[in-house]
Parts: sequence; C-alpha cells; structure tokens
Amino acid sequence: MWEVIFNLATVICLYGAVEYCLRDPSGEALDEASLIPFADDPQVARRVELATGKQVKAVAPEEAKPGWGNVEV
Amino acid sequence: MSTASTGQAYNYKVVRQFVIATVVWGVIGMAMGVWIASQLVWPDMNLDLPWTTFGRLRPLHTSLVIFGFAGSAQFAASYYAVQRTCQVRLYSDWLAAFTFWGWQSVIVIMLVTLPLGYTTTKEYAEIEFSGAVWMTVVWVAYAIVFFTTVVQRKTQHIYVGNWFFGAFIVVIAMLHVVNHLSIPVDWFKSYPVYSGATDAMVQWWYGHNAVGFFLTTGFLGMMYYFVPKQVGRPVYSYRLSIVHFWALITLYIWAGPHHLHYTALPDWAQSLGMAMSLILLAPSWGGMINGMMTLSGAWHKLRTDPILRFLVLSLAFYGMSTFEGPMMAIKTVNALSHYTDWTIGHVHAGALGWVAMITFGSLYHMIPKVFGREQMYSVPLINLHFWLATIGTVLYIASMWVNGITQGLMWRAVNDDGTLTYSFVEALQASHPGFVVRFAGGVFFLGGMLLMAYNTWRTVRVADLKVAHSDAQIA
Repeated sequence: MWEVIFNLATVICLYGAVEYCLRDPSGEALDEASLIPFADDPQVARRVELATGKQVKAVAPEEAKPGWGNVEV
Repeated sequence: MSTASTGQAYNYKVVRQFVIATVVWGVIGMAMGVWIASQLVWPDMNLDLPWTTFGRLRPLHTSLVIFGFAGSAQFAASYYAVQRTCQVRLYSDWLAAFTFWGWQSVIVIMLVTLPLGYTTTKEYAEIEFSGAVWMTVVWVAYAIVFFTTVVQRKTQHIYVGNWFFGAFIVVIAMLHVVNHLSIPVDWFKSYPVYSGATDAMVQWWYGHNAVGFFLTTGFLGMMYYFVPKQVGRPVYSYRLSIVHFWALITLYIWAGPHHLHYTALPDWAQSLGMAMSLILLAPSWGGMINGMMTLSGAWHKLRTDPILRFLVLSLAFYGMSTFEGPMMAIKTVNALSHYTDWTIGHVHAGALGWVAMITFGSLYHMIPKVFGREQMYSVPLINLHFWLATIGTVLYIASMWVNGITQGLMWRAVNDDGTLTYSFVEALQASHPGFVVRFAGGVFFLGGMLLMAYNTWRTVRVADLKVAHSDAQIA
C-alpha cells in the first residue's frame, strides 16, 4: 500500500515540477529565456535577431579594465 | 535590440586551464586506451610487468578519460557557460583555482595509484578511500563556485543549460559519497560497508549513473549552450528542454539494475531496471531531437562549419546509443549481449561518439574565445580531426558489435548431449580480427586527438592578450 502511495506522490511531484517550470503568464518569458546564450554578445545577438525576428535583450560589452587579465594558464 | 551595460569581466583563466587540461588528459587517456587495445591483439604489449598489465591499465584508461578528459571538459564548459548565461563573473577566483588544481591532483593520484594496484575494484570508482575523500572536497568546492555564481546572476531566469550542469554536480556528489562509503584499514585500502548483492546494486546504481549524470547530464548542459551558440539560433523548443530535464533526472537514477540481469539481484529489481531503461528512451530522444531541430533553417552551415559537424554528429551518436542502451537492457537481449564486447562497443558509441565529439565541438568553439583569437589556428585540421574521429568511432563500434554477437552466440551454443559446442578460447580466437579493427579505430581516434592538441598549441601560442581582455568583459 505504502509503495503505491509513494509512487503516486513521485508522479504528482514530477507533474507539479514540470507544470511549475512551464508556467509562463506573459507568454514570452520562456522565449526570452531561450535567447539568453546570445545576450552577452551584441554582435551575435544582432545576427540572431535578423535570423529569427525575435528581440534579444543584449548586454553591451564593458570597457576593458587596464591591467586586468592575462592569458597565462 | 536593446542594450544595457553591466558589471565585471569574466574569469577566463580557470576556463583556459581546464581547456588545456582536457586536451592533455584526452591525449594521455586515449593513448592508454590504444595501448590496452593493442594488448588484446598482441599480449606481449603487457610487457610482463605488473604495473602495465591490462588489469591495471584498463581502470587507469577509464579513470583518465572519464575524470581527466570528460571531467575537465565539463568544468571548463560549465564555468564558461554559467558566467556568460548569468552575465556575472565566476564566484571566488581563489576557490575556482582550487577546483582546478584540486581536480588535477585527483587525476594524478589515479595516474600513480592505479598502476601500483591500489584499487577499490569498483568500476569507475577505483580510486581508494583517501583519494575519494579528497575528490569529495574538490567537488564540494566546485558546487560552491557554480551555485554561488548562479545565485549572483544578473539575469532573471536561470538558463536551462545550467539546470543540467547543476543536476550533474548534485547527483554526482550523492553517487560518489554513497558508493564510496567504506571502512578504511590503511591510507590506500578500504572495504565497502555493503556486501553481496547489496554491494553490487549500490555499485551499479553508481556505475550506471556515472554514465547518466557524469557522461550525459553535464554534456547535455554543454549541448544546450554550445549548439545554439554555434548555429546562431535559439534552442528549437525551450519548453521541450524543460520537460527533457525533469524526465531525464527522474528516470535515469532507476536504470542501474539492468547491469545485473540474471544475477543474485532480486528478479523484481532486474525487471524494474529494464522497464525504467525502456522508458528512458523518451526523454533521451526528446533531448536529441531538440538539439538536432535547433539547426532548422541553418542546415546549410554544416557544409562549411566543421565545429557544427562535431556537435551534430555527437547528437546523432547520442540518439543511436540511447536507443541501443534500452534495447540491451531488455532481459532477453541482455542474455546474449551481457559480458560480451557488444557492451564495450555500446559504451564507446556513447563515449567516443557523444561525449568526445561534443567536447571537441565545444572546445573548438571556446578556445579561440578564451585565448583571444578569431578562430582556431587551422580550420582544415578541425575538418581532418572530424573525419578521423568519425572513422575511428565507426570502426570501433562495428568491430565490437560483430565480436559481441559472435561471442554471445558461441558461448550459448550447445551440442545435442548438452555439452558446450565451443570452448572459451575458441570464442577468443574468433574475436581476434575484431580486436585488430578496434585497435585501428582507436589509432584513428587518437590521431584526431593529437591533431587537436597541435591545433590548440598553435592557437594558444599566438594568443592575443588584448582580444582576450575585451572578450572577457561582460560581454
């Protein structure tokens, strides 16, 4: 009996988790989420916008900080 | 396109370190694989030394390619992708550096102790107690770096690739700790707290999910970032990627018992493992189709982009091996395939075709960016690598299919009086041509890996400091 209850609880939890993650009241949030990989690269974002017609909320590159960074490994 | 300016530069140093480590361990680990393949063709290659026997080098090969090559690749890819999708610098430079040097020390411990014969004897978990504890410390540091970066993100949504990386980190921690629970009697000797069929079940709960989470879930995170990036299109269906995530992590953890068909494990557990393995086909193919369909409208790019070819071929092999796996988990099929070379072929369809290919594609995408180059030193060399890797993989898995079915049929053949038709040695002799072809396949694959090492070396050697700086901004 208990194993049946646990199994049902697991299935209900899975269903709830998927439903919760798929909720999208604005109808755009998940579409915008799919564009995140391009958001930090304005040049690529522009090409993706041209190819898909979707708007990418891109982040402009920051000015290089003098003295920061190196290519040492 | 709206733009807004934010924060700080990315930590590319640790990504560069893990990228180089991936290439180095790839060369060493695959060379070890070719060596042990040669031992099955020419037994003299065991060199009559205890440290170089097949029994000691085989776990070293698997440890180096899984934890050294694939592990370093996932550190590199997850650190690269999490920064760029969260638009924030990796949490704690010091802790990130600790994960690099700590992880490399774990691989060196394996490299030294396994040939010396220190082993738990548990497949893919051979590292002895003290090394396993150190590995846990490094992994916890990895989890802190990754999840704190996610918490500090500038984006509202956590990109789905990071869900996969996160699940990979959490589940591997759980599997590693539970499977390594043991009583140490020495720095390099311990005995598991489990015994008998329970020990076997725990080991294969770990072993199957080492494949499921170390060699699949993390690499799916890689797929969800690098395939859209390389194609220049968002993932085909973001909704499907969410369903893919939940279904995969819910189902994979139950499939381990299929490694113990027809053993002392209770029959109900074997049947459960078989059923869950069959159901697992659905999320696996859902993810594969989602990755493939991301190329909709951009298939023409395959003509000119060898990096994209690597990524797409890896998805094709992922689809093939995740179909083959559930089929082999069916008990009647398993009765033929288990303990034969078919299993080795199946594992390498996933390891060479999926894991290594998507790693190659992702590294070729990342290396120019983190080292400040427009592209790799030689694109034709990437193309040559692609063909060497493809031919090598096909030779490997085809020879192991032929060997596996031959062995399975010869072992089960009986005469009218009930005696065995063939001795074990006769099956071994029949397998010899397959061993030769497998060795040739390994040489092809290793040749491609060496080309990659050369291409990487030439790219890194002329790395442009200024471009690397500006690329590491957020950006």
